[in-house]
Amino acid sequence: MVEIETFATSIQQYAPTVQLTSEPDELRNYAVDGLLPRLVVIPDSVEQVAQIVALTNQQGLKLLTRGGGSRINLGGIPEQIDVLLETTKLTRLLEHEAPDLTCHVEAGITLAALQAQLATKGQWLALDPPDAEQATLGGILASNASGPKRLRYGSARDMVIGLRVVQASGDIARSGGRVVKNVAGYDLNKLYIGSLGTLGIIIEANFKLQPLPISERTFLLTFLNAADAMQTVITILGSLLTPSAVELIDARAASDMSDFFGLNLPTNGYTLAVNFEGSAVAIDRQSDETRSLARKNGALLSDDLTGEAQDQFWDVVREHTQGSVTCKVAVLVSQVASYLQRIEQVCRRNELEAAVVAHAGNGILYIELRPGDATPRLVEAIRELRLYAQEARGRLVVERCPIDLKRLTSVWGEPGPDFYLMQRLKQQFDPDSTFVKGRFMGGL
Amino acid sequence: MSITELPPPVTTPLFERMTAAKKAEVVRELSDLLGARYVLYTPYDLMLYEYDASIDRSTPDVVVLPATTEDVVAIVKIAARHHVPVVPRGAGTGLSGGAIPIYGGIVIAFARMNRILEIDYDNLRAVVQPGLVNLHLSNALNPQGYYYVPDPSSQRSCTIGGNAGENAGGPHTLIYGVTTNHVLGLEIVTPEGNVVQVGGWTYDTPGYDLTGLLIGSEGTLCIVTKIIVRIVHLPEAVKTMVAVFDTMDDASNTVSEIIASGVIPAAIEMMDEMILQAVEADTHAGYPLDAAAVLLMEAEGLREAVAEQVDKIVSICNKHHARSVRIAANETERQLFWSGRKNAFGAVGRISPEFYVQDGVVPRTRLPYVLRRVGEICASYGLKVGNVFHAGDGNLHPLILFDSQIPGEVERVRKAGHEILEVCAEAGGTITGEHGVGIEKQEEMALIFNEVDLRVMQQVREAWNPRQLFNPGKLFPMPGRCAEIKQL
Repeated sequence: MVEIETFATSIQQYAPTVQLTSEPDELRNYAVDGLLPRLVVIPDSVEQVAQIVALTNQQGLKLLTRGGGSRINLGGIPEQIDVLLETTKLTRLLEHEAPDLTCHVEAGITLAALQAQLATKGQWLALDPPDAEQATLGGILASNASGPKRLRYGSARDMVIGLRVVQASGDIARSGGRVVKNVAGYDLNKLYIGSLGTLGIIIEANFKLQPLPISERTFLLTFLNAADAMQTVITILGSLLTPSAVELIDARAASDMSDFFGLNLPTNGYTLAVNFEGSAVAIDRQSDETRSLARKNGALLSDDLTGEAQDQFWDVVREHTQGSVTCKVAVLVSQVASYLQRIEQVCRRNELEAAVVAHAGNGILYIELRPGDATPRLVEAIRELRLYAQEARGRLVVERCPIDLKRLTSVWGEPGPDFYLMQRLKQQFDPDSTFVKGRFMGGL
Repeated sequence: MSITELPPPVTTPLFERMTAAKKAEVVRELSDLLGARYVLYTPYDLMLYEYDASIDRSTPDVVVLPATTEDVVAIVKIAARHHVPVVPRGAGTGLSGGAIPIYGGIVIAFARMNRILEIDYDNLRAVVQPGLVNLHLSNALNPQGYYYVPDPSSQRSCTIGGNAGENAGGPHTLIYGVTTNHVLGLEIVTPEGNVVQVGGWTYDTPGYDLTGLLIGSEGTLCIVTKIIVRIVHLPEAVKTMVAVFDTMDDASNTVSEIIASGVIPAAIEMMDEMILQAVEADTHAGYPLDAAAVLLMEAEGLREAVAEQVDKIVSICNKHHARSVRIAANETERQLFWSGRKNAFGAVGRISPEFYVQDGVVPRTRLPYVLRRVGEICASYGLKVGNVFHAGDGNLHPLILFDSQIPGEVERVRKAGHEILEVCAEAGGTITGEHGVGIEKQEEMALIFNEVDLRVMQQVREAWNPRQLFNPGKLFPMPGRCAEIKQL
């Protein structure tokens, strides 16, 4: 194998401005699931990224891309990391064509920095995953991160209109473009989103944008049981109402939020948070109707949030999807209530506790299991919960967990019959396995 | 390089035409499988399947009408064994030649696989077969208060399988997105004859987003046999407006300002003078005959929100010197406004023996410039052009009128079409917004993608359909063209 110092030297020859780190102390800050890279490189142009990848490929080394690092531990344990490439210096907003409601960015810009710039023209990128200050757009796309407002706006796949991606060869390829409607060629944007850097490195992205809402309000409803809360959700979704987010918070999650963040949520039963955006008159009417149908379904009390209290509430909710052991489960909306019962049963059997926050309108649950060090019981609980998810036509992904647990459980679940098609894609895109293996589904 | 400047085909075709003996054997095997009724192979029967709504044509050797996924698997296996290409076909309304069997072979027509398999109102999902006519799904959902959003103008005949293959759009995709934004999962048949489920009923299926990759792959990667779609509640209120303008610039500036103002209506369609005259003669929708352009706009949602949107849209129209803005008084009038738009292509048939429609997209702010250039280009070739298009998306549909009886006219049309797409590409746009590349725009792919971009896309085809058993010779620039030019 090539000495990493030799490799570092050749990078410096090609691109003297690339920042390099091979000091063990510093490398420790870049560990992924306890595994240290041998070299960290921080390029400051997309051309440098391409050169570094080409060189890595030629030398037969393994490269992992990292943005802000907020989700670097997502996925299975990496096999080997020779080069960790960090994109955080690629932070330019290349274009914001405000009248077209589109923008073009470099992948290393953080979501918060982008939103701040877009807001000066009254617009935003309608993605609201956690960690906006740290998470880069490249990382958000590669890990397909999303947040509560996906109910209204969809996820990354619905807003990316173009990407530039460094291929394993070091070539730069474009997919899509900068217009909002485009069917020329294969829709590779969809393929790269959520592929966790296994097919290429996203270096630039074009997005469809949204106008900032004129106003916004959140209603908190409390229910004694999950069935009533979810019946309310189903009724809302099947009605004329157009909520932007519908979040379900169980008692334990509510209690955490109250303890740590000073929110005053009821700590028994279930809290349903329903967010509406738009003009005041439209929100007023939707609030009346929401309250009235919630009452019919046994809602106990309701409160509403605006302004800073509202912003803080949603920040806390978003952050709460990231416990030390957190599973993301996607099931049908009609199955959420019964799935919540399953969670209780599984936890009781395995002497665990669960705190659940759910994008209830999308059927996506974030389940924090604790204590996080009860490894054998956690393994069993995850196995059972995954089985129940599959019975409900859904899937379970272990989004966050300590490395001991990761060694004993499958993060993504067993690959399905379509996996051989994914393997073939990986083989075509990265025949030499230049991009670190082990993290994505089936070890890709 | 323009399609008109291509050297004559010099490369070996991907597939040889079937010999009579081989064809007889394939027909026999297919007839054993499906019954003789569902296997068509006489010239008379095949004629219907040699064209779609594009300009190219080529005759298949056999057309089969399967009833089940298992039938499709068996057909694919027969085709693979005999090394005969397979081309899936919905209703044949495609505008880019996606369903044209360039090398002959087997066309799978999905007319019998046209059922709605499941509707789940609690979870807002429907599962349908590929041959289901787009509008039939919404018709089935409407009584319960729901519908399926993507609404191509051909929705009365086009199929959801074809929509998935082409990633079809339509007037109402402005806020709601195109087909890919409404499909969660597929059942597919691969070139090896495997039945595979991709995506599913729920969101964020782990692994690569194969559903997203396959939607819009134009039949070149797999054959779709089942589609899981999202359905949504019908809006409470719908207001349809028609604004009349004396100049194209005023109309296009209105579109730009509406989008820029943050009001995103459900649809903004533009029709120019030539189209208006054709449409009026055909539909009598009440459009003015002397206007330079008309915008057909729709706001929908909650009553209160719609009322506000309408006010804002009307005031922007007035600011840009709209001669009048009319709001449909009732559903009948609304349908009349829309029938004019949706029948526009057909209406143009009344004033010209033939027309050629382009599908470029440009940033919305560039509409005034690009529309002017479209007019200039067509004038320079001595061709008449009408524009009827999804202005809110920047998705142009210039209809170039022609008569193929006039010597050289077809070539001039192709050249003009190519130049229009060059302008779209230079303006930062794309060559197709919803019709697909197919045969028609293979060479124009090079206007927006370089060699590396195209090579990466070809890797995908290599992974899925390496022998090009499915829909060969499409989508990518080709060294030679083999389909005959449509002779009308």
